[in-house]
Amino acid sequence: MTALLLKSVTKDFGDKRAVDDLSFSVRDGEVFGFLGGNGAGKTTSLRMVLDIIRPSSGRIEVLGRAPGRENSADLGFLPEERGLYRTMTALDTITYFGRLKGMSRADARSEGLALLDRFGLGSSAGTKIDKLSKGMAQKVQLATAVVNAPKLLILDEPFSGLDPVNQGLLEAEIQRLSRQGATIVFSTHVMQHAERLCDRLLLLAQGRKLFEGTQDEARATLPARLSVVSRETPLGLPGVITATEHADRDGWREWDVRLAPGSDPGDLLQACTERSFALRRFEQSRPSLHDVFLHIVGGEEAHA
Amino acid sequence: MSNPILLIAAREFRQIAATRSFWITLLIIPLALAIGPIASHFMEKPHTRTVMLIDPSGRAGPAVAQRLQLEEQRGLLSALSHYSEIHGLDRADPTAPWAQHDRYYSDAEVEAFVAAGGVAHAQALMRRVAPRDLPQFKPGDPDYRIVPTPPAIAASSPAQLAKILPPLVNPPKKERRAEPLDYAVYVPADFGSGRSPVQIWSDGQPQGGLMAALQDTLTRTMRLRFLEAQGLSPATAEAAGQIAPLIVINRPPAGKGQEQVVIRSILPLLVSYLLLMSLMLSGSWMLQGTVEERSNKLIETVLACVSPNQLMYGKLVGTVSVGLTMVAIWVACAIGAAFATQGMIADFLRPALAPLAQPSVAMAMVYYFLAGYLMISMIFLTIGAMSDSFRDAQAYLSPVILVIAMPFAIIAQAVLRDPSSLAVRIMSWIPIWTPFTMLARLGAGVPLWEVVGCGLTLAAFIAIEVVLLARVFRASLLSAGSKPSLAHIGRLMRSRASA
Repeated sequence: MTALLLKSVTKDFGDKRAVDDLSFSVRDGEVFGFLGGNGAGKTTSLRMVLDIIRPSSGRIEVLGRAPGRENSADLGFLPEERGLYRTMTALDTITYFGRLKGMSRADARSEGLALLDRFGLGSSAGTKIDKLSKGMAQKVQLATAVVNAPKLLILDEPFSGLDPVNQGLLEAEIQRLSRQGATIVFSTHVMQHAERLCDRLLLLAQGRKLFEGTQDEARATLPARLSVVSRETPLGLPGVITATEHADRDGWREWDVRLAPGSDPGDLLQACTERSFALRRFEQSRPSLHDVFLHIVGGEEAHA
Repeated sequence: MSNPILLIAAREFRQIAATRSFWITLLIIPLALAIGPIASHFMEKPHTRTVMLIDPSGRAGPAVAQRLQLEEQRGLLSALSHYSEIHGLDRADPTAPWAQHDRYYSDAEVEAFVAAGGVAHAQALMRRVAPRDLPQFKPGDPDYRIVPTPPAIAASSPAQLAKILPPLVNPPKKERRAEPLDYAVYVPADFGSGRSPVQIWSDGQPQGGLMAALQDTLTRTMRLRFLEAQGLSPATAEAAGQIAPLIVINRPPAGKGQEQVVIRSILPLLVSYLLLMSLMLSGSWMLQGTVEERSNKLIETVLACVSPNQLMYGKLVGTVSVGLTMVAIWVACAIGAAFATQGMIADFLRPALAPLAQPSVAMAMVYYFLAGYLMISMIFLTIGAMSDSFRDAQAYLSPVILVIAMPFAIIAQAVLRDPSSLAVRIMSWIPIWTPFTMLARLGAGVPLWEVVGCGLTLAAFIAIEVVLLARVFRASLLSAGSKPSLAHIGRLMRSRASA
């Protein structure tokens, strides 16, 4: 089943097109990364999913329904710009948002207390927000997003502004909710988090989709890179585009080899064996998501 | 309670009720009302002025004292007459002077009243017909009291008096006496001869009552002397001095006419004032809350759970509840005060509450109060949604408050002077002032067509206002950057898109 579906969605603000013909889908139970630079249209897209703003054209389905507040009982949302009512206590804040999402007072309170305990804030349940540290307030904010055990959790740049401890806590919470079957969509421009968490991802630039797929599929868009130690130059072997020499030790030379897009390093290894091409090292270096991002989005933004 | 509007309203209410300023303002008005009379009770100088008469001849002094006493009784008779009239007690003795309300009481009538037993006698008669719970007539303190003249002063010459008396009527602060002397009057034995004047020592301009009594008594004595010198018998001369016309005063009965307008307008004016006060206070608290939501980046979290319209209505309901709670508590304090004091405040409130006896007037007052609240709160709410800081909000707020509150003083005065004057009637039709004007006018009576017409116009205005300002509210919630110009606000009002 599809937890989230966007079909040809466009959003214009006056003359400016923030989202341009965006289509993608997120399957049930997936952790889906929404990747893009600043101003790529991530927040606008997520706001449309939450019905905070309406698309200029296109269709959105959230848990099989049109966007709207009737979905709020099944949704959790952590916005990029965060804040809480300063004079409310931590527990009251979580209870209030739980109730806005349709929970009963008792359920919201007990779930709020359980969350605060899990986040190490059990003793601060009755403390007002303005008396909490920034890190503590961030935990309370996360608790308001997940108090209703959402089927679909939407996180807009969730790691920005978090200290490393809270980043770890958030990652653990995302993984916990995912194990429980929740679908999670989060936007970020920090690729390490996406790398650790995402099942699939979407790359967005200038409001347009540049890529949608798994991490492996994303990496496959980059030419494979190898670190090879041989006596001869690998240039001329099948699939090799460039081979840059790095070091020479007793006649064995170290090469940084780039393959043509689509070429399989396994094919190259087989060719080496067949041709008795002497090798001392044949190591495939896996491109990082950061490299993929720069490759796909960087190129697009350079065109813009 | 899972209705988001009520949840938001309850949160708004709790947030405002948790502020110190809410409780201070809530209590400050009853406190001010309580402290005012108490303070004035302690601070007011004794109402009765003391007069020392220095009268070497021994004749003018008693005459002046008698005159002051007569004026005192005339005032009492007049107050008693008013009391009898408004409480319908004339039937206790229809022939008594206090049962005649159409005149300026002559000396003879006052003397007859005193001879018959004065206030005590009248009260005894009235008690027979008065309802049991009617508070008794309380005579005020007399205006003047003659104090004995010490022999040393009585025997002093005018030159000596000029030295002795000023420190007595105007003592240095540290020597303030328990019973200060207000006036010292010296009447020389040969007053009126032109050789020595009548002299008064006082710490300020002498009061009119004392001057009139002195002038009247001494003039009468001089006139008597003159007439006797012209050969008239003392009896005839005395009779000539007593000649006085009967002066009949034509006015509406007590509690009617201008007095009725004033009394019946007190409650509506008060309600109008309460509306203004509670509006300004609760409105500004709500505005602070909305500014906080914007500046704390809370809006987006809230909007993921509720629609902008639910947020707006929740805030409106919350603010109106805060305002109405404040008004309810103030009214409860007033009623408590009325019960506690039983006398004066209850007496004062009874005729003022008369307009409420008509259900239509009471309903109209409730309607205009609520409508006024809704109309102004909506403006405050929109300002809050457009502002990132309270300073931003102030820029919009100042002109709005000026427009709303400025005409209030004019309305109050105009309503008391002439509730049906053209200016007041025109203002009743201008929606932004309709609630205040109509609330203030209702006590004095407003034609039904005007009550209904203005009410409908106001309702239509509020409906349009809510539609247009809701557009500005929705569009402003998530917008960042500099506060929108008037032209931009106009464009937001015209645009139908919610975001």
